[in-house]
Amino acid sequence: MRTLADVTSETLRLWRESKGWDVPRMARELRRAARDSGEDVAAHHGLVRMIPQWERGNRAPRERYRLLYLKVFEDLGGLSHGMALGTDVAQRIAEVRSRAASLPGSGEIRALEAAALAKPREAMTPAEIRALAAEAIIHLHEVAGKLAELSALLSDDKASEGKS
Amino acid sequence: MSTRDDEIKRVVAELEVRIAEVEASVAVLKGLLADDEIPADEDTD
Repeated sequence: MRTLADVTSETLRLWRESKGWDVPRMARELRRAARDSGEDVAAHHGLVRMIPQWERGNRAPRERYRLLYLKVFEDLGGLSHGMALGTDVAQRIAEVRSRAASLPGSGEIRALEAAALAKPREAMTPAEIRALAAEAIIHLHEVAGKLAELSALLSDDKASEGKS
Repeated sequence: MSTRDDEIKRVVAELEVRIAEVEASVAVLKGLLADDEIPADEDTD
């Protein structure tokens, strides 16, 4: 099992963002992980100050905090396996999850389509606009399916680790 | 590297492609709407 020693500051930010957590939430998760294992860590406001510094690379988290990150993301599943695969894959998993989370929903794509169809276009015909929106929604559903497939692969692995 | 690790890498790669396709389509749609806003700004001058 790798440690977080070789995880970049950018990765810490991507992991947090992939879960949709703001910095105070990350601080609470770290404090909860510490409390569960009976450790003392910095106060909430101290962590809220330190986390952005770790994520910008201004300073490196001490080993205690690196281990807490590992514990937090192990408990949530998925990323710990990414770390076992390598930091590159872990970062890619975090990035695709973050990018997928920021995609518009099918309703928003339909609204864009309707707005684009509201007046004649020189650049695209109405049929092309409709086809583009339909294609985007199809791909959006494929993204959801692939995310489910990824989660299943990661959780299957976590379960098999637990059995061994 | 296990078969499952390869599977994870494959799914991540496919996700990257699908996400890029959605992002590209949405960017085109937004680009069409952005074109609407330029003449409106010019009209106010």
